[in-house]
Amino acid sequence: MSSSGFTRRHFLRVSAIAGGGLLVACGGGGSKRRDNRDSSDGGEASDAQQFAVGEFLRLSSDGRVHILVGASEIGQGALTAMPMIVAEELDADWSRVTAEHSPVAAQFNNPYFGSLLQFTVASATTRGYFSAQRQVGAAVRQMLIAAAADRWQTTPSSLRTANGFVFDDANGRSASYGELAEDAAQQPIPENPPLKDPSQYTIIGQSKQRIDAAEKVNGSHQYGIDVDIPDMLTAVIARPPRFFGQPQSVDSNAALAVPGVREVHNIPSGVAVVADDYWSAEKGRKALEVSWNELLAGRTDSAATRGEYTGKLDLPGLPIRVDGLVPVAQLAAAENRSADYFFPFQAHAAMEPLNVTVNYTGSSAEIWTGSQSPTIDKLFAAAILGLPPEQVDFHTMSSGGGFGRRGNTLSDYVRDACHVAKASQQPVKVMWTREDDMKGGYYRPAAAVRVAAALDNQGNITAWSHRAVTQDVTASLYIEEQLDAIAEMELPPLQELTDLETGMPYDIENVLMDAHLTIKPEMPALWMRSVNKFTDVFAQETFIDDIALRYSRDPYQYRRDMLTSKPRHLAVLDAAAQAANWGAASAGRSQGIAVLGHWMSYVAQVVELSVSEDREITIHRIVSAVDVGTAVNPDLVVAQVESAVIFALTSVFYGEIELRDGVVQQSNFDDYQMLRMYQTPPIDTVVLPSEEAPGGVGELGVPALGPALANAILAATGETIRELPLKNLGYTLAPQHRA
Amino acid sequence: MFTIRVNGEDHTVDVPADKPLLWVLRENLKLTGSKYGCGQALCGACTVHVDGQPTRACVMPVSAAENHDIKTVEVIDRDRIGRLVQTAWQELNVPQCGYCQSGQIMAATALLTENRSPSDRDIDEAMSGNICRCGTYPRIRKAIHKIASEQL
Repeated sequence: MSSSGFTRRHFLRVSAIAGGGLLVACGGGGSKRRDNRDSSDGGEASDAQQFAVGEFLRLSSDGRVHILVGASEIGQGALTAMPMIVAEELDADWSRVTAEHSPVAAQFNNPYFGSLLQFTVASATTRGYFSAQRQVGAAVRQMLIAAAADRWQTTPSSLRTANGFVFDDANGRSASYGELAEDAAQQPIPENPPLKDPSQYTIIGQSKQRIDAAEKVNGSHQYGIDVDIPDMLTAVIARPPRFFGQPQSVDSNAALAVPGVREVHNIPSGVAVVADDYWSAEKGRKALEVSWNELLAGRTDSAATRGEYTGKLDLPGLPIRVDGLVPVAQLAAAENRSADYFFPFQAHAAMEPLNVTVNYTGSSAEIWTGSQSPTIDKLFAAAILGLPPEQVDFHTMSSGGGFGRRGNTLSDYVRDACHVAKASQQPVKVMWTREDDMKGGYYRPAAAVRVAAALDNQGNITAWSHRAVTQDVTASLYIEEQLDAIAEMELPPLQELTDLETGMPYDIENVLMDAHLTIKPEMPALWMRSVNKFTDVFAQETFIDDIALRYSRDPYQYRRDMLTSKPRHLAVLDAAAQAANWGAASAGRSQGIAVLGHWMSYVAQVVELSVSEDREITIHRIVSAVDVGTAVNPDLVVAQVESAVIFALTSVFYGEIELRDGVVQQSNFDDYQMLRMYQTPPIDTVVLPSEEAPGGVGELGVPALGPALANAILAATGETIRELPLKNLGYTLAPQHRA
Repeated sequence: MFTIRVNGEDHTVDVPADKPLLWVLRENLKLTGSKYGCGQALCGACTVHVDGQPTRACVMPVSAAENHDIKTVEVIDRDRIGRLVQTAWQELNVPQCGYCQSGQIMAATALLTENRSPSDRDIDEAMSGNICRCGTYPRIRKAIHKIASEQL
C-alpha cells in the first residue's frame, strides 16, 4: 500500500479518557453515508457509541497500551503482528501491550481491499494494514513528545522515545507515556508523522511471543464455540443429503419428545432442532423424520466432474495472460509436450467446527462467531433479522482455524444461525458437528489443468501454455438474490481472490494462460488456503521437472537458467537448494524442488524422500526458503511455513471429498484423514533478510510443497504424478520413527 | 443424577446417562477448555485425564465417569509437569489457532508424567491421536524434548 498520510476514513481522533490516559479513535464525523463504510450513521452518535465504534488504541495512565485489531485471528498471529507494527512506531513497551479483535466497523477495514471491508483472506493482513498501523503509532508518539516538550519547555527535536518513555537526555529527565497521555491528547494530530527507517526497528523483526499464547495453553482463550450467554439454547440443523434440497414434510413428534428439546423450525437450509443443550439437540435431530424435496438439489458427481473438466481442457478458455505468439512457437518447435492434471474437491476441516451464537431481541442483535469475513456476515445478519446494521453488534471471535471456510462471502453459517434465532426468538448457539462441517459444502473446488511446452532441441522452452478448468468460487455471490440485501456495499475485485495462476515466473518468450471458470450454483465451493495456486502451481512445477528429466537437465539449474531476470525467485531457489544440500542426497534418497512468487512473497521448497517397492514414502527432510519482505515477526513466519507444509502434506496425500450423485461420501477424520505427529517429517525453514514491503505469509508454504514432493517421486521412480491425492495412486506415508 | 469428581471437587449434574463427559464439562460445569472436534475419539481435542490417563471425553458417557478422578486443562498448572508443558508451549510459540492445544497439553503432560525422557517414537505413540490442523507437531515435539532434557 502506497497510501501516505491518513485517508479520509482513517483520520484520527485523540481524546483524553477519564482518570488520565489517552484514547485514539479512527474515522467518524465528516461525511456520513448509509452503507458499510460508516456504521456510526444514524444521527449524531453519542460519545459512548463513538467510543465503542471508533476506538483503536487506548493508552492508559499506567502505561498499558491496548490495541484493537481489525483482522481476524485464525491462528496466523494477527493479534500479535498487528500490535507489533503499532508498538514499533509508538516506541511502546512491548511487555505492556495487549490486543483484542475490533468491533466490525469501517475504521477497521483492510486497506488491501480498498478499505471496503474487514476480510482476513488472501494473506492480506500484514501487507494490507502495515502502513496504516505504522502511521497511527507514529502520530501518537509525536503527540507524546509534544506533550513532554510543553511540560519541560523544550523543543520536541531534543527529545527521544524508547520503551514507553520520552527522554530529555540533555537535562536527564524522562516521563512515562502513561504520565504524558492526558496532555498528549490535547496536542494537534500530526498529519504525516515521520516513520522509522527499518534500521531503527526494535520490535518489528523480533520473534516476540504470541500475545495469545498464555490463554491458549490454559484453556481460557474464548472461541465462538465457548460463548455462553444467559438463557442460551443450543441448536443443530438437519440438512438435506444433497445440497439445496428443501424439507418437504417434517415429522417432529419424536424429536420434540426427546427430553430437553424445545422447538423444531424449518429454515431455508434445513430443519433446526433447538434444545436446552447440545446433546439433547443432537438426539432430537436423530429422532427427526424429514423427507426432502430434491427437485432443485445439486447432483454434483466427482467422476462426472472429472469427465466434464477433462473435456473442457480441449476447448480454448478465457485468456488471462498472453505473451508473444504461442501457436507460432509451437509450429516451430523441435518437440511439443503436454500433460493433463486433475485435482478433487477438498474440505477445509478446521478443528473448531462452525458455530454461531445469536442473541436476537427483536430490535437488536448480538452475534458471536469466528469469522474471516465479519463485515459481510454482519450485513447478511442484519438483512435476515430485519435490523439496520447499526443494531447488530457482531463479535469476531478467535477462530479454531479458518483456511478460507470462515471467509464465505455468502455468509452461509451466519445466515443459518440468524434464521434459527429469528424463528426461536431466544438466545441460541447453532452448532455444527464434525459431520455437519465435513458434509456442509463450500469445498476447495475440483480442477483440471493442462500445461504444454514447445521445446527446442536442447530442451529450452520456447512457448508455455497453461489452461485451468475450475469452479468460480466467487460466481455465486453475483447471482444470489440475497445480494440485494447488501446491494449498496461495494465489493473488492473478487476475481483477484481466485488466485488463478498468471505469475509463471520463467523467462519464456511465448506464454498463453487461459481458464474456464465454471459456474455451478448447485455446488457450494469456496477458496481454501492458497486457492488455485495449489492446483496451478502443482501442474506448472511438476511439468518443468518432466521436461528437465527428458532433456537430462538438473531441475534446480534448469529453473535457475530461466529465472535470471527474477532476483527474488532466484534468491529463494538458491537458498533452499543450499540449505537442503541439493544434489548431495545420500544413496537411496531423492530430492525435488519447486518455486513460487505470489502474495508479494517468494518461496522455494526442497523435499528429500525415498520410496519403497510397495510405494511407501519416507520423507527425510523438507526445507523451505522464503522471502516475505519485512518479516514483522520472523518466528510467526516460520510457524506459518511449517503449518503450510503440514497442511499441504495432508492435501497431497489424503485430501479428497468425493461426491456421488450429489452426496458427500466423507464424514469425519476417519475417512477424511489428517497428517498426524508420527508422519511429520523434519521441517526446516530459512527466512531471507529483507527490508522490502511485507508480503503475505499464511498461504505461501502450501502450493510449492506438492510439486516439490512429486518431483522427488519422479526422481526416485520415474513416475509422473498427474493427479492428487497420492493415496489414490497407492502411495502411503511411512511412520517417521520405527521401532 | 450423576456425581463426578472434576478438578478435585464433586459436582452433581442432572443429565441423561449417555451425555458425554465432554458436554457435561463444557455445558454443565462451564469448563470450556476441553474442546469438541470430532465426537468420535478421532482428534483428541477433548482430551482430559481420568485417573491420570489421557482420555477422550467426547465418547465417555457421564455414567462411566463416576467414581473417577477427572482433571481438565483448567487446573493442569497445579501439576509441576503440566506447568512445565504450558511454559514450554508459550516459549516455543507452539499454539497457532490454539483450538487443539488443550488436548495436546493434556496428552503431553500424561506422557511426560509416565516417561521423563521420551524418545521420538514414544512421542509419536503418545501424541498421534491428537490432530492439529495448523500443523504445530514439530514444535510440540521440540517442546516435549526440551522439557525432558532440561527440566526432568
